Amino acid sequence: MSVAETLAAAKPRSGRAISFLFFAIAIALIVATPFLPNYYVRVINSLLIYILLGIGLNIVIGYAGLLDLGFVAFYAVGAYSYALLASPQLDLHWPFLLILLVAACLGAVTGILLGIPVLRLRGDYLAIVTLGFGEIIRIIINNLDWLTGGPKGIARLDKASILGIQVARPIDFFWLLLITVLVVGTLVWRLERSILGKAWAAIREDQDAARGIGINTTNAKLAAFATSATIGSIAGAIFAASQRFVSPESFTLQESVLIVLMIVVGGIGNILGIVAGATILMLLPEVLREFAEWRILFLGLLMIFLIIVRPAGIVPRSFGPDKLIRRLFGK
Amino acid sequence: MTLTFDRLRKQYGQVVAIDDVTASFAPGLIHGVIGPNGAGKSTLINMTAGSYSVSAGSIALDGKRLDTLKKYQIANSGVARTYQNIRLFDQMTVLENLEVCFYPADVGGTLKEVTWPPYAAARRERRREKCMETLRLFDLQGYAQAEAGSLPYGRQRMLEIARALVCDPRVLLLDEPAAGLNHHETAELTARLAAQRLPDRITIIVEHDMDLVMSLCDNIIVMHHGKLLFQGTPAEVQASPDVQLAYLGTANDIDDIRAAAQDRRAQLGIRARRRS
Repeated sequence: MSVAETLAAAKPRSGRAISFLFFAIAIALIVATPFLPNYYVRVINSLLIYILLGIGLNIVIGYAGLLDLGFVAFYAVGAYSYALLASPQLDLHWPFLLILLVAACLGAVTGILLGIPVLRLRGDYLAIVTLGFGEIIRIIINNLDWLTGGPKGIARLDKASILGIQVARPIDFFWLLLITVLVVGTLVWRLERSILGKAWAAIREDQDAARGIGINTTNAKLAAFATSATIGSIAGAIFAASQRFVSPESFTLQESVLIVLMIVVGGIGNILGIVAGATILMLLPEVLREFAEWRILFLGLLMIFLIIVRPAGIVPRSFGPDKLIRRLFGK
Repeated sequence: MTLTFDRLRKQYGQVVAIDDVTASFAPGLIHGVIGPNGAGKSTLINMTAGSYSVSAGSIALDGKRLDTLKKYQIANSGVARTYQNIRLFDQMTVLENLEVCFYPADVGGTLKEVTWPPYAAARRERRREKCMETLRLFDLQGYAQAEAGSLPYGRQRMLEIARALVCDPRVLLLDEPAAGLNHHETAELTARLAAQRLPDRITIIVEHDMDLVMSLCDNIIVMHHGKLLFQGTPAEVQASPDVQLAYLGTANDIDDIRAAAQDRRAQLGIRARRRS
């Protein structure tokens, strides 16, 4: 047996071992979280929110191939939906689940509103326009003092409760977020494999040829923007409920860029990649906390290293959840 | 059921690419469009498929106007095409390249596909079956899970035709399907296209390979400077002094046409190799 053959034979087994390792770490983390101090639970919660955001943005960037730099706008729409409908600001105190529904719908509508003017744009031009859109939403929020409290934000948001069960402690939000990530992740993965997901891939590959096989690219793209924005908005509403405070500062361009980075570093177009990318970009600053201002430098070096070593991301597109499941439980 | 061009015209500024072409294409036949470079052959295909707009005149299928529709709507009326420079969805698998063609038929069930796994499985299975059937027609079943962009050039040509055929089009437009293929592959292509001659399908081939056109086509349209010069059977076209004059200039030798075709193939062959 030649060296190449030996390597080829060994690869699936080592792949399987790695899959098992990461699966075990994930399960262990989930089981251990209830026993961790609140600080760590909060870190894990914000990781889960970023995973949720990454899953949402990935629909537009990874599946449909449209570089959207204004994703944080939808996150803000969701967060301010909760802030306005469950706080003394307008003296409205709607139930959490209802607000989640409203936020989802508002997200979809804003997604389509952004989608319509940018339908003809691609690549750099699309990136610039969406970037502007994200900033516009933030600036509006910043200046609409009577409604949004302007730069001061909105404080004293209601404690969330779901069907009478109060969701207030970090650990409560951990479970809420975990369930949301699992449900949304599963649905989005199924969407990726559906005929619409295939059409998005075709648009990404060659928009004109996609039209040539009968795909209404306008509708397909708007569907991508709407689904993506809905998820961003849901993440925003949960974020607001967990912080019980919102201000425009949470919705800067930097956030949008961070989410794009998670997708690119983790593996564009792959839900597993987003989990990996978000974990690295979220946990690394925590691990490097003692190095304070050197952190950004480390982060930069890591990015350069990853882009050289794994240009397709940590988990390539081809290694999707179905492969993982097969590796773990299959033949 | 026929495809008709009525006083069709395409103009780019002062340049007239297609000049009042009126023609009709009957089903069950393979129609060849030939003519020197720049005669407007590809423009005809591009206008029919909706890639180019129509300057004047009309295109109709069964009396239903096509030229007023958007490109995807034309595709959904049963018009499928291939491109002069292969345009596959390179990073998708061979199977997915075909599966995605069922989008117009299946997109309505997307929500159910996402939320109801048994429905999704059934849909996927049905799509897969149809696609594999088409892939087998082109002997591509072995490549089903390969990335389309990784296929050899000749297989990519076949795959593009398979993609055009998977949804059973009423009109099949082939823009230089033999470009860049070697002799053996061209023979294979001729045989496979001959097998796709269905009684209710209109096939139109733009091609420089005269062997292929003469052996495959039932009806040939000769274009010259954007005008329809001649229409007839292969034998009539070969015998026509008009065609010989237009096509060959002064030389009356079909060998010159062959040489031109060879040149063209070589040209595209180089481009093809660079691409892969």
